[in-house]
Amino acid sequence: MEGRGHPFLPSASKRHQQSSQMKRSIPFEIFRYAAILAAIAVTLVPILWMVSMAFKPIGEWSATGAELTWWPKHPTLANFQFVFGESANDLIVALDHTALKPILSSLLSAVFGTVIAMSAGTAAAYGLSRFGSGQNLPLALIQLRLFPPMAVMIPVMIMWSFLNFNDSWWGLALIYGIVTLPFAFWLMKTFFDDMPREIEEAALVEGCSRLRVFTRITLPMMRAPLASAALFVFILNWSDYLIALLLTTREWVTIPVYMASLSSSMTGQLYGAKAALGLIAAVPPVIMGIAIQRHLVRGLTFGALKQ
Amino acid sequence: MSAIHLQNLVKTFGDFTALKTMDLEIADGEFMALLGPSGCGKSTTMNMIAGMEEPTSGRILFGERNMAGVPMGRRGVGFVFQNYAIFTHMTVRQNLAYGPRMRGAAQAEIDRRVGAIAEMLQLTPLLDRKGDRLSVNILQRVAIGRSAIMEPAIFLLDEPLSNVDAAFRAVMRTELKQLQRQFRQTMVYVTHDQLEAMTMADRIAVMDHGVLQQVGTPLEVYNNPANVFVARFIGAPGMNLLKGRPAESDRGLVVDLGPLGITPPLPDDLAAALRGARGEVLYGFRPEHAALVPDRQGLAMPVSFVERIGARTIVHLSEGESAVKAVFENDVGLSIGQKAVVAPPASSVRVFDAATGLAVKAG
Repeated sequence: MEGRGHPFLPSASKRHQQSSQMKRSIPFEIFRYAAILAAIAVTLVPILWMVSMAFKPIGEWSATGAELTWWPKHPTLANFQFVFGESANDLIVALDHTALKPILSSLLSAVFGTVIAMSAGTAAAYGLSRFGSGQNLPLALIQLRLFPPMAVMIPVMIMWSFLNFNDSWWGLALIYGIVTLPFAFWLMKTFFDDMPREIEEAALVEGCSRLRVFTRITLPMMRAPLASAALFVFILNWSDYLIALLLTTREWVTIPVYMASLSSSMTGQLYGAKAALGLIAAVPPVIMGIAIQRHLVRGLTFGALKQ
Repeated sequence: MSAIHLQNLVKTFGDFTALKTMDLEIADGEFMALLGPSGCGKSTTMNMIAGMEEPTSGRILFGERNMAGVPMGRRGVGFVFQNYAIFTHMTVRQNLAYGPRMRGAAQAEIDRRVGAIAEMLQLTPLLDRKGDRLSVNILQRVAIGRSAIMEPAIFLLDEPLSNVDAAFRAVMRTELKQLQRQFRQTMVYVTHDQLEAMTMADRIAVMDHGVLQQVGTPLEVYNNPANVFVARFIGAPGMNLLKGRPAESDRGLVVDLGPLGITPPLPDDLAAALRGARGEVLYGFRPEHAALVPDRQGLAMPVSFVERIGARTIVHLSEGESAVKAVFENDVGLSIGQKAVVAPPASSVRVFDAATGLAVKAG
């Protein structure tokens, strides 16, 4: 059964749907749960592998290691110590700088990039949702996402070096803000379009100014959508690799770029250190996700409004 | 003065005309209901009074004051929305205090007003609840309180009761009327529910397709509809209308309904107005006025359906393409298929010109 069923036989199609739900066979149920388990495994096993690897000593993760195991036999924090520059007893590799600066760079560029995208995107979305006419401008904005940012990165590199923005967190934050602006704009526009105008009109009738309506009524009521959109934009910025690779060289490389550089001629890829760093990189989105979970679950509730 | 004058008001949206030259005088302190089916232009009229929309042409005056270009915040009107438009991120108290706070009232004054209005609307125990934790009925009370707190001289309500449940609607009808008696504001009340309009309004403005059909007291509109639309729209069920031609008979002027035969003679004043007219007319009477009469003294039609609505029984009669509804007491001894002869008392007969739809004025 798809859609709403036959328009002239609504009750019949409903009954059919109900009975098919009730009569689900046991083999079907087994298949269903197997499929769900497979999907979970595909999603979670790499994460599990990363966590496990992060706590393995070199002998257990390197290519020279004797065997591969699911769980570390001799759990160690050596990988974490290594990326933060402490001498790790079994790794005879020296890093030219520690993970501290890349973490700072990632945080600064992703956070400020999100701030730029969200403030510009929210303002634009509100303006176009309330006062805009036609669909051309909003569509043009989303079309910016139809070609990859890479297509314009060479000119951007030249512009950024002209502005002295290369290899700086603020240069990165600016381009992140620009690249994720269409997402922020479209997410927020949808939310603004869904918000009943009567709420704003009720405040306007009481003598509230347009600007005050926006800051005191609309934005506070939009807390949940703002949080969801900000999380989405933050994750996009946080996980970027290519832009950071092109625009940073040494001082302000981000976590993904730094991670790629974790290798040595002696041991090849430093998987243990990469896993440790990957685990650290997963922390901010997870914390943000938990912090705004309440909003994500509730989503948009204009509880007062029955349409 | 807070009389509202609408003069030659027109509103178009692109090619669509929402309102065609509306003229309406609403007196100071009057409770005026704008009644009509959806899309009739009543909400558009209301939005223009509130200042949410500018008229395409025509003028709106509050007393002597022309409202053109006056922003809605400066019109001094209270507005209650159909969907309440409560600020859900604020408490009931903050919602109620919104108007006075926006107008820079002192805290003591705000507290006094909030206390008084909360008491009146029985919201006192709920003052510190958040707006998103309230039932629909309470939300509408808060919305009314928020608009009424500044005692606006003009109070606009846009279908405020259409989302609340039936029992609460009856309570609110009484409360709104009392609120208006107490403050003596000019109230404009948009609704598609004739019961609300009939029970609360001093006068009703019936609208359809952007055209004002009739303005009058509830009884005027019910008893003497100006045209066929009002006759059918007001009343539940609406007025019976049967097509025919005026004809002379030995008992006086009647309407010849073709296969249905002729009607009882028209009252003298209507007969005088119709005598000599040869065009088609619509013979109208209220289902509530229909009475069972002896054979050959009324319209004889078979019963096609009997609808019991509790207090009364609606009997549907039909013959060919003609249909008549009649409201009787529950003990009426009619069943489907049986032939009934009904007629209205002469005084409750109304006649409309079939071509223009307008009522034929008696005398």
